[in-house]
Amino acid sequence: MFLFGPIDVLNDLLLKTGLSEDWIKFFVWPLIQIGLVVTLVALWVAYATYLERKISAFMQARLGPMRVGPWGLLQPIADGLKLLTKEDFIPENADRWIFFFAPYIAVASAFIVFSVIPFGPDWAVIADVNIGLLLVLAVSSVGVLALILAGWSSNSKYALLGGLRSSAQMVSYEVAMGLSLIGALMFARTLSMSGIVAAQGSDSIWYIVYQPAGFLLFLISGIAENNRAPFDLPEAESELVAGFHTEYSGMRWSLFFMAEYAAMVVVAAVATTVYLGGWYFPFVNRLQTSGHHNLYVVVSLLVFLVKASIILYIYFWLRWTLPRFRYDQLMDIGWKWLIPSALINIVLSAFAIFVVQALNGWRGITTIDTLDRGLNMTKSGKGIMIAFGIVGVFITAALLARINWRSRDFNLKVQRRNIKLVNVPKGKPAVQAES
Amino acid sequence: MPLVKTPKPTFAQKLKRFFMIDLIRGMGLTLKYNVGALTDKDAVAGKGIYTEQYPKVRPDVAPRFHGAPRLNMDPETHDTLCIACNLCAIACPEDCIDVIPMDVEIVVAGKPRRKKVLDEFIFDTSRCMFCALCQEACPTSCLELTQDFELATYSRAGFVWNREMLEQGRETVKYTS
Repeated sequence: MFLFGPIDVLNDLLLKTGLSEDWIKFFVWPLIQIGLVVTLVALWVAYATYLERKISAFMQARLGPMRVGPWGLLQPIADGLKLLTKEDFIPENADRWIFFFAPYIAVASAFIVFSVIPFGPDWAVIADVNIGLLLVLAVSSVGVLALILAGWSSNSKYALLGGLRSSAQMVSYEVAMGLSLIGALMFARTLSMSGIVAAQGSDSIWYIVYQPAGFLLFLISGIAENNRAPFDLPEAESELVAGFHTEYSGMRWSLFFMAEYAAMVVVAAVATTVYLGGWYFPFVNRLQTSGHHNLYVVVSLLVFLVKASIILYIYFWLRWTLPRFRYDQLMDIGWKWLIPSALINIVLSAFAIFVVQALNGWRGITTIDTLDRGLNMTKSGKGIMIAFGIVGVFITAALLARINWRSRDFNLKVQRRNIKLVNVPKGKPAVQAES
Repeated sequence: MPLVKTPKPTFAQKLKRFFMIDLIRGMGLTLKYNVGALTDKDAVAGKGIYTEQYPKVRPDVAPRFHGAPRLNMDPETHDTLCIACNLCAIACPEDCIDVIPMDVEIVVAGKPRRKKVLDEFIFDTSRCMFCALCQEACPTSCLELTQDFELATYSRAGFVWNREMLEQGRETVKYTS
């Protein structure tokens, strides 16, 4: 069988068709991988919508979709068919071509990222680019362009406001997202996604224990980047109808929907790769050593999917727990909390690495095992690093709480309080009370 | 000078805010409901799902609920109980009932007589407001508003019920799963 047999079985079959070895290696295999990944991700996205509905239902003591198939499992297919057959409406004064192409930009930018994400070892990764993480950040931020174009071209005030809000939000959270990853990159010493996973494997540790602050920052800014609740200001239902996709209908609307969920999956996959050890899991590589190579790859792939799904669950969980932020609160969190704490995190991680390196060989303490592939630490070195990570979260939070303490005076809440009259005789205007 | 006395947070409140205790408690609450729904157990009422599973489980309507109309029949002879007296049509505030009688020849005590009997009964449910005044006016308890509530049809013409539909009832799909 394919799972238990050697990898060359399919390769030999392809060779018999008369294609040259280079063609198979650089054209046929990538095409097969792309097909697999696109299918897998599309299914995953479809069932993420189903799970979102189910989990939201459970959190509200409902059952959710139950009618189509057992436990409503065929609901995404039914929804897709419905949306395919719906009218594709374009408003009269819309900018037709931009309106036409905006959804494709959103979907493409979300799906291109999957080309560099390592779903597993060996054949489960399409392309191992040495700037993988940079590509992920660059391409996923093109998705913002789609939202802005959609909002602008719709010729609708709600859509335009949604587009404006999304651009402001993305600009402020993109920075925090990029900066929060740098701490982990100091340990990995590579931007290649497979390389980051391999670095965690050779250290036999997940970077979430070195970088809890970085993980939290990445998760929060990732949620904000994807316009998910509690940061879903670009499509705030109660204020903007549906935000940037107010005027969209049918398949074009569902493309935006797909792009949103695919972007969520992207952030979950990146968080898994960088912080949760990618496809590594204890004892799984025993399959490799016992000769079941393909089974090992498939199990690793499942491990990756499960890890990313846990992060997706956190997404749903937060969405159905927290209310939406006000716009000034959103900017507050972005600029006053996330970006400074990402910077502090970088400094602290650098300091931790410096301390570990300085302690090595001092009074017989060995913290560094080898230096051949990045920083391989001994148990005591890991302990110091983990302690720095956990203490760093609280140091960062305390420092920022201290700095931001006075800035709350400029909040609307306090301003509203000041306007209220206390101990002022009636008939006098509120302005006098200020002096 | 602050105009409003804003209560200064105590140290415990500051700690609570710093460690985001309220956020964690809120997350715990939603998680509790989620797990409760999956295991169908909940600390509050002993069940995880509170909603009514409508097509699967038929809801219990209120005892005074008025729904689809029905013309009752004599349970033994299966003749209609309607005597075509037209009282229901007169009572109806929406004027949605049409009673169409016909005369039949019968023999009473050896003499031929003519009797008014029901030929056709038209009931327009699209105009009906389910006040049940017709039910109260009926002297023979023939016309009755039942508790059946599934009255949707695909066309306007489908809302007009004739005598056969009123006597037999309309067939609706009853889901069991």
